[in-house]
Amino acid sequence: MSEYMKKLISDINDHAELRMQTARTRRVSIVGGALVGNMSSVSKGIGARVYKNGVWGFASKSNTDENSAKEVLLSATENAGLLSAKIPKNKGKLINAQCVQYSEKRAFTDVSQKTLVDFAKEVDSYIEKKYPALTSRHVGLSTGCIEKTLYTSEGSFAYQLFPRTYMIVSMSIEASDGTNIELFDVMGGGEGYFSDHYSDPALLFPMIDSLYEELINKKEGIFPDAGEALCIIDSSIAGMVAHEAVGHTVEADLVLAGSVAASNLGKEVASPLISLTDFAHTAFGEKAPLPVYVDDEGTLCQDAVIIKDGVLQGYMNNLESALHFGVKPLGNARAYAFSDEPLIRMRNTAIHPGKDKLEDMIASVDKGYYLTRTQNGQADTTGEFMFGITMGYEIKNGKLGKALRDTTISGVAFNMLKSVDMLSDTVSWDFAGYCGKKQPMPVSMGGPSIRCKVNIGGR
Amino acid sequence: MDKLKKAAKYILEQLVSSGADAAQVSVSEGRVEEFNVDAGEFSLIRSVFNSGASMKVIKNMKKGTASVNQLDKEAVDNAVNECMAAAETGVEDSALSIAEKEENGDFVSGELTPDKEKFFDSLIKFTEDVKRLFPEIMLEQVIASYSYGKHVFGNTNGVLFTEEDGSYSVNIMYSAHKDDNVTSFNYIGVDYLDPAQDILETADVKLMLERAVKELDAVPFSGKFTGTAVFSPACLCDFISTITDSFTGDLSLIEGTSPWKDSLGKEVADPSFTLSVIPLSDEIVCGERITADGYKSENYDIIKNGVLESFSLSEYAARKTGLKRAKSTSGCVKVQCGDKTLEEIVKNIDNGILVCRFSGGEPAGNGDFSGVAKNSFLIKDGRIASPLSETMISGNLAQMLKCVNGISSESVNYGTCIMPYAAFDGITVSGAN
Repeated sequence: MSEYMKKLISDINDHAELRMQTARTRRVSIVGGALVGNMSSVSKGIGARVYKNGVWGFASKSNTDENSAKEVLLSATENAGLLSAKIPKNKGKLINAQCVQYSEKRAFTDVSQKTLVDFAKEVDSYIEKKYPALTSRHVGLSTGCIEKTLYTSEGSFAYQLFPRTYMIVSMSIEASDGTNIELFDVMGGGEGYFSDHYSDPALLFPMIDSLYEELINKKEGIFPDAGEALCIIDSSIAGMVAHEAVGHTVEADLVLAGSVAASNLGKEVASPLISLTDFAHTAFGEKAPLPVYVDDEGTLCQDAVIIKDGVLQGYMNNLESALHFGVKPLGNARAYAFSDEPLIRMRNTAIHPGKDKLEDMIASVDKGYYLTRTQNGQADTTGEFMFGITMGYEIKNGKLGKALRDTTISGVAFNMLKSVDMLSDTVSWDFAGYCGKKQPMPVSMGGPSIRCKVNIGGR
Repeated sequence: MDKLKKAAKYILEQLVSSGADAAQVSVSEGRVEEFNVDAGEFSLIRSVFNSGASMKVIKNMKKGTASVNQLDKEAVDNAVNECMAAAETGVEDSALSIAEKEENGDFVSGELTPDKEKFFDSLIKFTEDVKRLFPEIMLEQVIASYSYGKHVFGNTNGVLFTEEDGSYSVNIMYSAHKDDNVTSFNYIGVDYLDPAQDILETADVKLMLERAVKELDAVPFSGKFTGTAVFSPACLCDFISTITDSFTGDLSLIEGTSPWKDSLGKEVADPSFTLSVIPLSDEIVCGERITADGYKSENYDIIKNGVLESFSLSEYAARKTGLKRAKSTSGCVKVQCGDKTLEEIVKNIDNGILVCRFSGGEPAGNGDFSGVAKNSFLIKDGRIASPLSETMISGNLAQMLKCVNGISSESVNYGTCIMPYAAFDGITVSGAN
């Protein structure tokens, strides 16, 4: 079916991409026992992007026949021509574009809506029966797969599947002051289809029990003292440090827009304990949570080393920025939908583990906080990051104390990383999130538990 | 439009013949013409031609939904089958319904044909103006687009609406730079109808760029105080969106977690505070003519003179909770202006902060929030003083609305919402030390 794509793209002189995608999604959402979401969707189309003298033209249509492919290529070429004529940059060709071949061996595996609904209902039923004191409960199950077929004018071909499945359970309970206290967790899942991760709902019950236990702790929670504090950031949320605090500032498009990383290449930006890599498909000897093998510019994906032993080594690039900085592109250009152009995106971004034990790290803190769950985060050009904290504990004299209510932590990335003096020996990954940057993008992020100084919001 | 009407009719027929007790469908086609500026330079022109159909079916009091972005028979038939299969697996819920037929209508608004050349020229002028007048400003990204769409909404109760609209929008992300010094980024988004519009003079674009240059002198805040936070119009818009999601939206009322769940008709804010949803206003670009449920949209007040007049509920949430559905499902909101200028409000603040962007975690169910006050300025002894970095604020959204210090007489129209400056007491401001 895609043979016409190969033929059409081979006629283009400048670098060009022709990408066909099908995104299939199924979602189930149960709120307080009511099935408020019971949805399936299919989104299919073809998009073309053409480079001309330093600018791009892009076009897409939600049809995938040969005529549509011709039309989007023509429209993308016209757009590139129009922009190049009005804004002449005369940058020449993208001479670093590669010619790679990659074809996914797996086949797409669907699951029935009934299987999903029945599974979610059983989980919801367990929560309802076991924890009647809850004021609300929410079970959300999502599974989907993005299928991409890419041809480039240099002869690259890639056929890849990006399946991802996860379940989120949230619950809330009323505290003695009348406040509604909430907590959520991702219950299993990861890269792959529903059947790769879920079989018996009962296997999730211990995780639900654990979430409830934490909710009860949080119900009696206190607000932290606002200001700078010594914190242990648990490995389960350390990925936020890798992604928000550092990752965004070293995306080359943001570097070119003047991010704080622009003036720090080759400099010490973190404690010598810190090494940070954006992994392509294999991390620490295992398959990365969301592996990417060929990016949407037809570049073979390789690891991008960002920080090594505290020194900033490089950025994440697309073809154009790699040419600008005179480095090899490592496959960070990715597009979300068929109607989206590739942007510089993270893949599996993680801080490398250290040698400390978590319990020793907690014991080392006289006064501080142990932060264990997060929800959202945001980066900044300045390197000043923030992320929301939904669960944590105070630490007093090396021991865990009272739980915390919702708060926010912030800091300046490179200052915070310089304050790191202990790293745990285990890495946890978060794979259920989307990164927002013009387009959404599934990403994973990970790291060990980190002892550092950050600003914490509170009262 | 006839093609879309035909597709909608076909889908409803297929759903009914497959056993639906009730069904609704929305079919659309559209295009986007987009210009991108990255790191101050034009980088991309993007043309997107899209289509889609989304459908909902109720069978034996169970719901199924499905969507597809292609309108050929095979794709639509598959979606119909998926929709019915989903309904078969559903959970019985007596609150499920489709819109009752009231009065059908056809609506056209905005600019239906783009003037790509004029629009492009206005963007070139904007980037050149910024380079000339604000050499410290880096336009990190500008996404300027013309969007056109037409859509048909129909259901088995005989509801049939058509809607066609087109408008321009520009979203600007920027920061200021001098040597190695860089400010926090900020952003402005504006919708409008004139392709030749002078973007620099639109909304508060020029003022915000001027403020960004001043932010180059930002210093980290030291200490902690509880005082007055003045939110800029764009920042207030973000807070209002959070408040409506958390306190008046579907989920918080269905779950019963909204602190306002029993407050309808009661005072939830200072009497000077009025929040309206105005999708039909001439001040709003295109707005909303048909609700997501299939009713004709109307303007309404969420809060009037401090009293909670309406929640912003869908028909399902309304039936589920026994409350009334909102008259619009749009986010076209307006906060009523006050009678003092920003300058007069600031003059009466001894200790405060002007917050132009808030970067924080999701607020707790009760409205507790904390986060970083970005692009912000200290207010000291009645004056907007030094720009700040590394400064956090915290407070409670519900409490905040009861502690209005002042609402400005001037407002900014972003095309989709109209906001003044608003000052609230009782906000904790803290620095690293």
